Amino acid sequence: MTDLRLDATQLERYSRHVIMDEVGPEGQRRLLEGSVLVVGAGGLGSPVIQYLAAAGVGRLGIVDDDVVERSNLQRQIVHGDDDVGRPKVESAADYVRALNPDVDVRAHETRVTSETIDDLVGGTDGERTDGYDVVVDASDNFATRYLCNDYCTLSGIALSHGAIYRFEGQVTTFPNDGDGPCYRCIFPEAPEPGTVPDCATTGVLGVLPGTVGCIQATEVVKYLLGAGELLEGRLLMYDAMGLSFETVDVRRNPDCPVCGDDPEIESIHDVGYEGSCTVSSD
Amino acid sequence: MPTRVTVDVKGEDTHEIDLERLAASGNSGEPISYADLLAEVDLSPHEVSVLVDGRPVPEDQPVEADHVTVLRLIKGG
Repeated sequence: MTDLRLDATQLERYSRHVIMDEVGPEGQRRLLEGSVLVVGAGGLGSPVIQYLAAAGVGRLGIVDDDVVERSNLQRQIVHGDDDVGRPKVESAADYVRALNPDVDVRAHETRVTSETIDDLVGGTDGERTDGYDVVVDASDNFATRYLCNDYCTLSGIALSHGAIYRFEGQVTTFPNDGDGPCYRCIFPEAPEPGTVPDCATTGVLGVLPGTVGCIQATEVVKYLLGAGELLEGRLLMYDAMGLSFETVDVRRNPDCPVCGDDPEIESIHDVGYEGSCTVSSD
Repeated sequence: MPTRVTVDVKGEDTHEIDLERLAASGNSGEPISYADLLAEVDLSPHEVSVLVDGRPVPEDQPVEADHVTVLRLIKGG
């Protein structure tokens, strides 16, 4: 199992990966050469960041414009009590650096908007010379969710989707490399602001984003390895109270506004993301 | 139009809805729409997507399927 591109420390660190035929030294090399942008360092982002860092994903970007609050700590486990008041990206990046020095972690303390997403994901940021292989949507709002979907769909970048509500979660994967659906194929438009409750008003079981985020991390690792069956064309529904999983088959929608046969959205700049994420009238 | 429709609200309950009864209870004379099905199970079109065979259908369209899947839009992260 010796691979000259993995040094002795790496062979020890990743030995439980390398020993498996489905990963091996070649798969571990793929992980070390992989790059993932995690949008949101909150409930979902925390386990995603932790497991991708532990797995040795070589370049890990973290985007968030928020600071750690004490009410986050019940579920956002990448942050600790001493981090209250710090930018979440700084706290999360420190966690990654302490966990795995193989990971080149990039902290982006900003909001993902139609003005910033190309720099963040596409790699035109002055700090970087290339973009990311995968985007993980671990956001907590529809504007970011639809923007990430539209950008990744139009750019052909793989997207992991996760969302949580009280005791339930939804997860799926959009490789964006073929005929599979995108998020808008399932949910064509965002609801009007204020019509769908958030965790701050309804509460959320603290361990719920751990389960859902770990599934997202699993999907990303499989995608980078090129192994296993992704949740493409399947929306996984998780009910923590019933401890049950169910998958719903979803298909590409010919009427989808972004990846349909006659799409309305040909650029993220066509869309007003602060409302129902539909094509702007101006 | 089918006479009965199964409305499978994922993560919640499955409902059997009698369209003839629903039509008789209304007074608009308009065909029963997917939005009418949602109203019958106390859901707003703003918070869900109605899928038939894995694809969303416009809520204002007349019901043509005998089984629909309802997915709730959730935003938490």
